[in-house]
Amino acid sequence: MTRMYAVDPWVEKPLEAFVVEAGARLALLMTPAGQVIAQYGFTRAVDVMAAAALGAAIVASTGEIAKLLDEPTFSVLNHQGKRHGILLAGFDTPRGRMVCLAVYGPDSTPGLVQLFFEEFSRDVRDACPETEAPKQVLAADFERELNESLSALFRT
Amino acid sequence: MADDVRSMTAELVRDPTSLVFLRLGEVLRAEGQVDAARKVALTGLERNPNLADAHDLYARILVDASELDYAQRVWESVLQIDPRHQGAHKGLGFLHYSRGDLDTALDHLELAVAADPTNQNVVQALQAVRDVADSLTAEEPVDAFAGFEGQDRGILLVDSQGRALAGRVMTGEGHDGTDAVAAHLVGVTQEMVRTARMLKLGDWQWLVVEGTDGNAHLTAPSGDSLLFVVRGRDVPAGRLALLADHAGDAARTWLAAQRP
Amino acid sequence: MSDRFKGILDAITRVRGVRGAMIVVWQDGLIVSDSLMEGVRGNAVAALTSSVTKYAESVMLASGIGRLQFLHLQASNGVLLVVATGSETLVVAIAEPSVNVGLVRLELIRAAEAVK
Repeated sequence: MTRMYAVDPWVEKPLEAFVVEAGARLALLMTPAGQVIAQYGFTRAVDVMAAAALGAAIVASTGEIAKLLDEPTFSVLNHQGKRHGILLAGFDTPRGRMVCLAVYGPDSTPGLVQLFFEEFSRDVRDACPETEAPKQVLAADFERELNESLSALFRT
Repeated sequence: MADDVRSMTAELVRDPTSLVFLRLGEVLRAEGQVDAARKVALTGLERNPNLADAHDLYARILVDASELDYAQRVWESVLQIDPRHQGAHKGLGFLHYSRGDLDTALDHLELAVAADPTNQNVVQALQAVRDVADSLTAEEPVDAFAGFEGQDRGILLVDSQGRALAGRVMTGEGHDGTDAVAAHLVGVTQEMVRTARMLKLGDWQWLVVEGTDGNAHLTAPSGDSLLFVVRGRDVPAGRLALLADHAGDAARTWLAAQRP
Repeated sequence: MSDRFKGILDAITRVRGVRGAMIVVWQDGLIVSDSLMEGVRGNAVAALTSSVTKYAESVMLASGIGRLQFLHLQASNGVLLVVATGSETLVVAIAEPSVNVGLVRLELIRAAEAVK
């Protein structure tokens, strides 16, 4: 049984390749505002919601720190714990910036996840249909959009 | 018996060219006087270097002295003098049987029987080895690596799903590591294929690893099998590659024979 | 690349047929230092070498031949040669298939001694 769901079908193939090659146990593709585009491995909507919100918050806060330091936006964050590692990385696409959050176990490595993230971001860029720039996500819209995407992601 | 020895010795003193040394050597062998038997055989050989029976006697004495490789060479030289020499075929049959090479043992014993079908000792020996070979064939598939040094501890053929096909890997502590190694081999192979593809190295051909306690060589003798050869650190990588090459040939032959 | 590592890696890349050399953190698959010809993907070499050596070591431990010291992956268009330094890093060379493996191995061992 597949453990992957995507709002847009064009993202399925690159995401599947990424989780297989990188050995990711969980993966989330979202906008910097936390709007979920695709997920792999999550079984509960509430976990997706929490991961997306926290991931978006980290991207926003590290972006602000980069600004304070007069640095370009940090592109990749990699944390390695005892049992799990986390990669949080942003990349540009024709539909604007996207963020990937991946959780991996001891059978993978930061090097492998980063390597296949590079391939994934390139594949997503190539597969992504060009549309108008995404609209600004307003706080009021955020929860509704998140709920809509979660419904799509879990086919509820 | 002592009288026999005395009379034969006296005859030999009287006539050093007498072939009685053959019987004397045999009697001394039977009495366990290996050194004395060896002296008699060598003295006889000096006078009769082309006498196949003299070499045969000497080879049997060497077996008594546990000098098996030397005995094999002597019997092989007997067959150059007389290719149908029953004693030499019987002796070589015994040597190959004792090393577990039943096929070669059977070849020699069949030739020994052909040389003299009335010799019941040889007929019985042939039947006994045939029985052993039949029982092994009935109990388990023919070993792909029969006759290979380390066939029972350092050669393993597995299928593409990590199941052992033939051979065995024993660890230094005497544990049977066959199943664990078979399972891990699939993972390392998949990773090698991916590495070779992504680094544009082409198709992988072999992997050699050197460890703190030994060396190993991994190849794919066919598209759906893997061959793993393990040896101690005293076997250098080049020799390991040669061993793996020969084992690969044996594996391909064996795999072809298994296919319907 | 620090001068210390540069000299170590240059000794490896001076061997005819070597396309690149690097020092890699074994557990992470990340580059410590590298000296690569154009077209060699350093991050891919590091990540994949770390992974393949881990798999290889699991086979080695199961077969009772101990920890990894040297690995030689021969392929039709190239070879990957790795020496474990014994202190969480690997020294890696990627080379043409006809490279003098013995010579590269010696340089890798020298480099590993210098790195640890």
